[in-house]
Amino acid sequence: MSGALSDAELVARFEGAPVDHDNKHFYRGLLDRELRLNRCSDCGTWHQPPRAVCPACWSPAVAATAVSGRGVIHMVLFMYQGPPTPGVDYSVPHPVVTVELEEQEGLRYTSTVVDAPNDQIVVGAPVTLDWIERNGTPFPVFRLVED
Amino acid sequence: MVTARNPIKDKVAFAGVATTGFRRDGGDVTEGALALRACIDAVCDAGLRAQDIDGICGSQPHPAYVQSALGIPEVTWFAQLDIPFAAQVMAAMNAVYSGSCDTVLAYHGVYRNAFNSRAAANDPFRRLSPALVAAMAGAAPMPESIAGAAGYASWASRYLHDHPKASRETFGYIALNSRANAAHNPGAAKREPMTMDDYLSARMVRWPLCLLDMDLPVDGADAFVITTAERARDLAPKPVLIHAATFGAVDRNEEDQMPSLDRSGQQIAVAALRAKSDIWLDDIDVYFPYDGFTTIAVNWLESTGWCDPGEATEFIRDNWDDAGGRMLINGSVPVNPHGGALSEGGTQGSGHVREAILQLRGEAGERQVPGATKALVTPGGFFFNAQGMVLRTDGA
Repeated sequence: MSGALSDAELVARFEGAPVDHDNKHFYRGLLDRELRLNRCSDCGTWHQPPRAVCPACWSPAVAATAVSGRGVIHMVLFMYQGPPTPGVDYSVPHPVVTVELEEQEGLRYTSTVVDAPNDQIVVGAPVTLDWIERNGTPFPVFRLVED
Repeated sequence: MVTARNPIKDKVAFAGVATTGFRRDGGDVTEGALALRACIDAVCDAGLRAQDIDGICGSQPHPAYVQSALGIPEVTWFAQLDIPFAAQVMAAMNAVYSGSCDTVLAYHGVYRNAFNSRAAANDPFRRLSPALVAAMAGAAPMPESIAGAAGYASWASRYLHDHPKASRETFGYIALNSRANAAHNPGAAKREPMTMDDYLSARMVRWPLCLLDMDLPVDGADAFVITTAERARDLAPKPVLIHAATFGAVDRNEEDQMPSLDRSGQQIAVAALRAKSDIWLDDIDVYFPYDGFTTIAVNWLESTGWCDPGEATEFIRDNWDDAGGRMLINGSVPVNPHGGALSEGGTQGSGHVREAILQLRGEAGERQVPGATKALVTPGGFFFNAQGMVLRTDGA
């Protein structure tokens, strides 16, 4: 689906976001409900945020690659105030979690957790990727899973 | 890797220093006016005149503005750098030592505007267009980013998770220490007493960090004259020598990708400083950990080696001076005696450097550490801006 969008349409779809040649495949992935992070085609190392070369071997052969979405909460903060965002009113403090993904030690992605009371959103909790709609566009979030 | 090479050791010195003091509302002034006031006072403090300055280095405003506004006739070196302020000090130090110039005027001004202070918008001249405010906030106007300030709250949660003995009170002690010290600094923006109850009941902003974990947006400026140690000895103020200075960063330096609190820029800065410096903790008379957020100072106590990783809570309690309501390491070494970024005001390190100089010159007034000759300053946070500096007096 995202493949049908021109680059200009992609930029328009994510108006205000810092879409560029290094991360455009990540943004296309969102439209396909796939969380695609950069992985080196030569040495297999993942990195985040997306850059033009692999930081481990300096190969330019990096490819946006879907992750499983499974991981563990590495850090969590609760925002009592923040930028106006559809579906977020901060009357219940808004969780922001940094999740260590199972693909590689230290590979992390930051989003929120949905459908869980804040007291259960703790460091060490296992999570899996899910999707919500924000501004009419798929947005990757996490959901708590049983240990 | 860190290098122990340090040919510049003790070769460059602070020869002048000045501050406007810091206020929550500095009145009807511009950012430029504040910086110029501090710059003039620093040059006068050194006993110099405009024509003696041939290098200019700062943050805001641009050095070209400072040169023009102060009529500094001939300059051979400029640099405008990102804070924290050890960046300006190191650039100036290297420029002087290499011969790019002889005498640098270095400065840092801070200014409240509609971006960092709602009250500032009451001054129509401090209003900013909504577009400019958005641009200053960065390109991610959504809550699910920990770039910038939020990153410190996230790592504070990790610290609390990893160290069950730590609690929000651990961070609270840092806030209390800064506030107790600020009471003795007429240039500090917040001087009224603070209790642990005040801290624990303060408005939460990004759990686990509350309003009192964050530095203060203020109006004011610090300025410095930096020249060769040789030249500084011919001037009236007591020279304060730059013994060692460094940056520190690790490869994964984004807020959410940093390896761990035990492997951040802080550990690199400390390793480099220890390799370069003949002076270390046992000889330090006064310590300045950056406290832009309380959690940064907690981690500096551990990464510098005042205590082991995870032991800051007990360390602070063991080194707490109940009479003064503040830290006094080993009963004698105060921590951020000017009140730090938390209570003097958010100076991004320039206040810490200024107070270190005043202490070593013996000019810190009622805050003076008796006989202080050596200071450790560790500006910056975790990710891409950790720094360290050892300063000393001649013959110390």
